[in-house]
Amino acid sequence: MAKREVPSLWTGMDRKALAIGEFTLRQQQKRLSTWVVLLVGIAAMGVLTMFYVDAMTRDYEAIDNDGDSFDFDGDGYPNGQENLYGTDIFDADSHPGVLDPSILPDDQSVWINEDDFDWDALEDGSVGVDDNGDCDLESRTDSQKDANRNGIQCDIQLISDRYGGGYRVLSDGNVDEDPDDEAYALEAIHRSFVLAIGKLGVVFLIGIFVPLFMATGLIRNEMTSGTMHFMLAKPIARAEVFLYRLLGFYALAWAYITVLIALLALVAGLMGPGDGFYRFGDLGVWMAVWLAAVLAISVYGMLFCTLGVMWKHGMVLALPFAAWELGMILTTLGAPDASILRFSVIGWAMNIVDAGAAMAWQDTPLLIQMGLWGGGNGPLEGAEALNIFWSTPGLDLGALGTIVVSVLVLLFQAAVCWLLGSVLFKSKEIE
Amino acid sequence: MMPDMTQQGVAQVAPTPVAANVPVVYFNGVSKSYGRIHALSNITLGLSGGVTGILGMNGAGKSTLFKLLMGKLRPSAGQVKLFGMDPWKNPAPYANVGFVPEHEKMHDWMTALEFVSTFARLHGMTRTEAEREARRVLDFVGLSDVANKEIGRFSKGMRQRTKIAHALVNDPELIILDEPLQGCDPLARTTIMNVIRELGKLGRTVLVSSHILSEIERITEQIIILHQGKLVALGNLHAIRERLDQIPHTIRIIGEDARTLARDLLGHPAVFGVSFPTDQELLIQTFHFGQLHAALPRLIVENGHKVSIIDNPDDDLESLLHYLAGGNA
Repeated sequence: MAKREVPSLWTGMDRKALAIGEFTLRQQQKRLSTWVVLLVGIAAMGVLTMFYVDAMTRDYEAIDNDGDSFDFDGDGYPNGQENLYGTDIFDADSHPGVLDPSILPDDQSVWINEDDFDWDALEDGSVGVDDNGDCDLESRTDSQKDANRNGIQCDIQLISDRYGGGYRVLSDGNVDEDPDDEAYALEAIHRSFVLAIGKLGVVFLIGIFVPLFMATGLIRNEMTSGTMHFMLAKPIARAEVFLYRLLGFYALAWAYITVLIALLALVAGLMGPGDGFYRFGDLGVWMAVWLAAVLAISVYGMLFCTLGVMWKHGMVLALPFAAWELGMILTTLGAPDASILRFSVIGWAMNIVDAGAAMAWQDTPLLIQMGLWGGGNGPLEGAEALNIFWSTPGLDLGALGTIVVSVLVLLFQAAVCWLLGSVLFKSKEIE
Repeated sequence: MMPDMTQQGVAQVAPTPVAANVPVVYFNGVSKSYGRIHALSNITLGLSGGVTGILGMNGAGKSTLFKLLMGKLRPSAGQVKLFGMDPWKNPAPYANVGFVPEHEKMHDWMTALEFVSTFARLHGMTRTEAEREARRVLDFVGLSDVANKEIGRFSKGMRQRTKIAHALVNDPELIILDEPLQGCDPLARTTIMNVIRELGKLGRTVLVSSHILSEIERITEQIIILHQGKLVALGNLHAIRERLDQIPHTIRIIGEDARTLARDLLGHPAVFGVSFPTDQELLIQTFHFGQLHAALPRLIVENGHKVSIIDNPDDDLESLLHYLAGGNA
């Protein structure tokens, strides 16, 4: 006699999961509202991207931050060139042309961006090179050459602020005093865009609206229309129905968010500043955005589906929560370490993005400070935007630790919502 | 163990946990109320095997009874047992149950085959197994020709038959059909009635509800009558009918001169009493409905009366129930 194969719990569950998951996925595909929600999401991200494309293709005026390109005395030599050779910038008869050997005048444009930031060397400590030699002049005293008193002449001392979490810039005079405005603006605006659209656009807006419109009714709509009777007349626990419906929704929502982020990463990687064909260095940030968005969608999906089970107007319950989350994401921009953020979903998701950005773009805090300093002449274009959208991760665990803890917290939140929704659904009488 | 991603294997359906010597359906003093409204009061019954018709007006508690069985509602008092198990918060008994809900709404975007096979997979069947079983039951209800058409394009009768197919896909021990004939065309009615009778012959326990006596009569003799949430009669339809003969029936006649007609009819031994709601209308009370009904045409013609309508306002379920409930009170 053939031994009868007893189905394991796992094969039974996985067949049911696949059946309901597939069913849910196809049901969503057949609904017009699904496509409207998804297309509106793409359109919204498209509009935001257009601002970015415009910012990347615009011409940025090179600004002479230190006045070196002017020619005060009208002798044909820019001030910067006269300073370099020690002639008087206010005396038309004193210029490098009368020196022996005679020096030909520079074009004024040479002295507009003559001493850019030293991008590749940005790190805590002594950085900066006096590119045009106007710091290390014989006419200047040693104390003038080491105004920041770090024992090194003609450098910039970057000091991490132990309390504020940022950096302070102390410069010896005339070092990096005339940054390349366009280069800085492109880099800062590019990073600001990636962070802004990643945090506010993908993780928050898409992450909350797609579940709001698609997950709130996953159980409730079936209960209202009476079609839930078909599913619940089968030997399947309601907690399973709840979970598998969500899995069907996740299949669509996760695929959608993946495509959306891939498109954004493609456009921003090709349009962004840099020598290479594509900015591969940004991929770490996009991966963090993807992880945060997938987890945010998972938690919101579970939560909204639960609210739908709780009350037939579940969306009315979901909206105040969405408003709370909006308040929380604005809080993360200003005070990323506020402890109230622990009581939100978006706060943990933002930790992931911030930690990912901190790993991929380690020089960003310095970039912000240098931009705000602007060679001693106030903020450069893009510096303030980057300062808003960049946050140091709120947990004192390092970038990787922050990601691990945040992922675990978000998974825990999703599990709690699932448990709550299942218990509610299980004890629900269905007319 | 790895997930069965291909879903092509042989179905491993769990052995059905049916306890022996336990009624399939068992209600013990079951009541269900919504606030102060009593949908069901103190129902006690046990059923096993055969087709049972559940008869009652809209709102009599037929659907509530089924929903209690299907674990959708929790009883306010008493015990509900399905194969000896409490169905509330326990889906295990449904491995042996097929349920046809009364709700009209279906997943219109699916084809009949998709609909039936999708829900078959919730019994733990593989994809291939589910499709084969779905084709079998769709053939059984006579829908194999349209198995690949969308349900949204089906007639009411075809939709009902699809629902029945979906309920039969696991070859259940107990089949519950909530108003399966409602809104169906005559052809679909006949098909559905045949399917139900066939299931009864196969030894399955079938519960079928209706608010139309003549429909139930064509399906089964074993009936349960519910009225205002109370169980007013249970047993063989013919036995219940005999009891009905002991209560007066009413015949209504509308003619030119009701009073003269009454005088001529009062002589008949079957007539128990008469009344005149209007000058043209005559109501006759009788304990021997069949006898009087047979004699009426001759009496009218012989006495030269002009009559436009003869009917029996009593001969509907409502008055039948009224008498039954009154008798029990």
